[in-house]
Amino acid sequence: MIETTIMLLLAVPLLFSFLFLGLGKSMYKILAWAFFIFGVFASVQLIRDGVGVYVITGSEFAMFENIVLVLEVLVVLFIIGVAAKYKNWPTLVLGLISAAVFAYTFTNVPAVESASFNIDQFSQVMILIVNIVGTAIILFATGYMDEYEEHRHLNRQRTFYFTMSFFLASMNGLVMVDTLGWLFLFWELTTLCSFVLISYNMDKEGIDNGFRALALNLVGGIALSVGIILLATNYDISTLSGIGTYAGTDAAAMAAVALPVALLCIGGFAKSAQMPFQSWLLGAMVAPTPVSALLHSSTMVNAGVFLVVKLVPAFAGTGLGTAIAVYGGFTFVMCSALALSQRNAKRVLAYSTIANLGLIIASAGIGTPLAVAAAIMLILFHAISKALLFLCTGEIEHTIESRDIEDMPGLIKKAPLLSTLAALGMVSMLLPPFGVLLTKWVSMEAASENPIVIIFLILGSALTTVYYAKWLGTIMSSTMDKNEVHHKKPETYFSLSFLGLSIVVTSILVFQIYDYFVRPQVEILLNAAPNVSGQAGIIASEIGEFAYAAIFAVIALAIILYLATKSMFTPRKADYYMCGENNMERDKLMFRNGLCSYDKSNVSNIYLQNTFGESKLTTIGYAISIILIVITLAGGVL
Amino acid sequence: MSLAKSPWIIHVNCNSCNGCDIELVACLTPLYDAERFGLLNIGTPKQADIMVVTGSVNYKNVNVLKNIYNQIPDPKVVLAVGACASTGGIFHDCYNVVGGADQIIPVDAYVPGCTPRPEAIIDGVVAALSILENKKKGNIRGKEVKLTGKEVPSNA
Amino acid sequence: MDMNSVLTVVLVLIGAPIIGCLASGIDRRITARLQGRVGPPILQPYYDVRKLLSKDNMIVNESQNFYVVVYLIFIILSLLMLVFKADILMIVFVYTVASIALIVGGMSTGSPFARVGSSREIMAILSYEPVLLLYALAIYLLTGTFKLSAVLDASTPVLMYTPLIFIAMLVVLNIKLKKSPFDYSTSHHAHQELVKGMLTEYSGPGFAIIEIAHFYEYVFLTGLIFLFWAANPLIGALIAIVAYLLVIVIDNITARVYWQWMLKLSWTFLLAISIVNIAFLYFSGVKIV
Repeated sequence: MIETTIMLLLAVPLLFSFLFLGLGKSMYKILAWAFFIFGVFASVQLIRDGVGVYVITGSEFAMFENIVLVLEVLVVLFIIGVAAKYKNWPTLVLGLISAAVFAYTFTNVPAVESASFNIDQFSQVMILIVNIVGTAIILFATGYMDEYEEHRHLNRQRTFYFTMSFFLASMNGLVMVDTLGWLFLFWELTTLCSFVLISYNMDKEGIDNGFRALALNLVGGIALSVGIILLATNYDISTLSGIGTYAGTDAAAMAAVALPVALLCIGGFAKSAQMPFQSWLLGAMVAPTPVSALLHSSTMVNAGVFLVVKLVPAFAGTGLGTAIAVYGGFTFVMCSALALSQRNAKRVLAYSTIANLGLIIASAGIGTPLAVAAAIMLILFHAISKALLFLCTGEIEHTIESRDIEDMPGLIKKAPLLSTLAALGMVSMLLPPFGVLLTKWVSMEAASENPIVIIFLILGSALTTVYYAKWLGTIMSSTMDKNEVHHKKPETYFSLSFLGLSIVVTSILVFQIYDYFVRPQVEILLNAAPNVSGQAGIIASEIGEFAYAAIFAVIALAIILYLATKSMFTPRKADYYMCGENNMERDKLMFRNGLCSYDKSNVSNIYLQNTFGESKLTTIGYAISIILIVITLAGGVL
Repeated sequence: MSLAKSPWIIHVNCNSCNGCDIELVACLTPLYDAERFGLLNIGTPKQADIMVVTGSVNYKNVNVLKNIYNQIPDPKVVLAVGACASTGGIFHDCYNVVGGADQIIPVDAYVPGCTPRPEAIIDGVVAALSILENKKKGNIRGKEVKLTGKEVPSNA
Repeated sequence: MDMNSVLTVVLVLIGAPIIGCLASGIDRRITARLQGRVGPPILQPYYDVRKLLSKDNMIVNESQNFYVVVYLIFIILSLLMLVFKADILMIVFVYTVASIALIVGGMSTGSPFARVGSSREIMAILSYEPVLLLYALAIYLLTGTFKLSAVLDASTPVLMYTPLIFIAMLVVLNIKLKKSPFDYSTSHHAHQELVKGMLTEYSGPGFAIIEIAHFYEYVFLTGLIFLFWAANPLIGALIAIVAYLLVIVIDNITARVYWQWMLKLSWTFLLAISIVNIAFLYFSGVKIV
């Protein structure tokens, strides 16, 4: 049955994309609901089908291979075409190089006889993310895009939903396929979708940023395809799992494939917007929020780390692995520091995404079973939390007409449910017992043998706490503004609540998730299970343990205690203290100033622009990260 | 006796010449050391028990006095320190002066003098403490003081 | 959970606030003596809490006391985890929940003074969190596990190999107890410019709970110092007490600094000496078990 599910997962999103294209605006909501329900059922079905490999051979393969070839040619032609149309020369050059590389592949690389889809537990996790979180985001978009377009005088929803659904299809392919040639096609298709969606607004800013994303991802794509060519010609490897099988645990074999593996990893770094490629993800924030949530935080950028984690058997324990770990750790700390100085909520989230992907890469680079387990779990938890945070930011923007954190005080009064959900998202990013922190803890314990990586993780962790605490406090602060904004659409709030609930449920079920998905996957990758013992409620490695159930219990206790004592002490409301200068004749909020007129008190957060500002850190970040990438490559060559 | 052992005061300077303020601060200095009795000069009305008012009330600070009084949680007492806070003092017939603190908010104890000695102020605080205890026992609450509309003189 | 651990929990729940209360009282007493005053009775913090509990609860919004409850409960949880020798890294994270709860509680009131205080306290987190985590790492490098049971079983004290981290931790103690020169987020003494920092809007029982949580926090923080010489509990306790007294003396002889100054101190000096210490532990490969 697994073949059917795989084909469904590829075909149905495609079908939906054409339905979105064909049907009118009035049908979008129904379609989105149907898509969401399909996504939930299909991904659950894939998990029920279990793991397995689906090999396509013979005439079927020939047919699909021809489709793939045609699509690849179309992709390259499209890239060259738009680059020429908008006169974006760097992209054009990169497109031509891609075309040359593609032509070389077509003529010189030995053709494969079959293609395969490899469904392992990691693919299952990714499928869950893509199809449940992804369709929830599309559902959110149906309640969001009308207002978005109204503000910007656009009418391109057809393109929007078509590309989003098409993207889901290619993402599904990307995480399931095992054949490197096909993987590359899906890889380029996601890049293309990203380009179309970033330039959605069709203004200069959008198009420029779209081209930047396209160009940087093409660099990654070229690295990827060169790696694939090297693997195919020198080692006769044509599948992703084949790399792991070839490398095995043999140090000599690992050293042999190190260069192509390093190239594949660089492709992954570019996709995951690691330094020095981070600028494309920041630019991508001009896109509508659902795009940021779907492509640029929870799915597409995860493709890069997905690839790196899949390659773990080829570099675990080698110098290349250490170089990757240091590189990931560096990105983590650098982007966390950069996030500290940002007051634009979407930029904060973008930097936070890059930082967390860096953490995943660092964990993968460490390469111990525990670290790899942390990497896989972090992908899952981070995707849910970040999707929620992005969607909340979008909704906040529609509620208060701003995405500046300094405009957000009083949000808890204007939109209580929205703020609570956003707060849940932030808390899940930085505090126990939620998944992201738990896995950060696991990766810190796993990294503790590597002093440079662990110090990076420690510094980055502290910085993460700071920039989220700042934002959390700001949205929870209740100014006396009383104007509650009624802005509730069922689609948006359903998606938000669903994601919020998923955070809580997955965090409670963390041990089960580990047991069902992560442990078998790590065994596949490294032939060794992580040394994690314990039962539900406690995750225990051999060097530490984390009793997350106890913390959940304590949180429940706190809520009960609060509710029980809420009325006990006869609370009385008063205005906040402003040296008695609250004006009594008006709203009791503003200061009376010396001229008998009224001023509003305003306190802003601390952003440390002079220390952690983009202008101060970005150049250093570029320099060091490029050096680290060169070291990674050198580790591959030597 | 749960209140008397830790009287936290908030000091409101209405229109004082600073004489009383300096004497009040003197209470906290090593010589008089009012902290022996647990007395603390706290900055926020939300945590205060005793409101110490110095200086006469004028039109400009009526609001301030009322706001701060309203923001002190019950039980609370008000102590007027010095001649000005008690009656308006030598400023009582100035064009901008409303009068003593008791024109605006209910005052529980008065410390006379211009300026009162620190011993007198501490004595006033001690007198206020028993009132505080009585208020707690009798569950007497301070009413919220509202604007009357005459706080800003018509020619302002 | 056996009888013994239930008993321990009860003992901690009751004992810790008593110790913390006395410590706080002694602090005020010593401070008074250093200023040439008699000072309040040792039990003054207890009187304060009792008074606060009998007062009205004046609030700005409904949620502000929720954060206080979270703060109290998570301080107690981190203390209990310390007593039960849990994972030190996890203890640090749980303790962060408490700190964040207080900060968000302060900010939630919307008061400008509270927001100033909270912002500064967030910067304090930036200053001390890396040091705390490096301390946890040092314990791992010395014992091969993050679980504290190894530290307590070891025959050699941690302090023998972590003198530099000890110095950094003393500063962290100073920051966390909100003593001068780092008392810029909330302070009894700064009411001219800060009113009461992030606690400005808390009153009555809500403020009492914060005070009680502070009592637990005193015990928790000195407990972290105690770990430096847990091999011999007597010396460990002595070091913890001396560290506490040192903080009180520093409190009295220094003036409040800018938060920028603290951040610079932490991210240059404290981090540097901690990392040097870690590098030593890593390269020498020394173990105490």
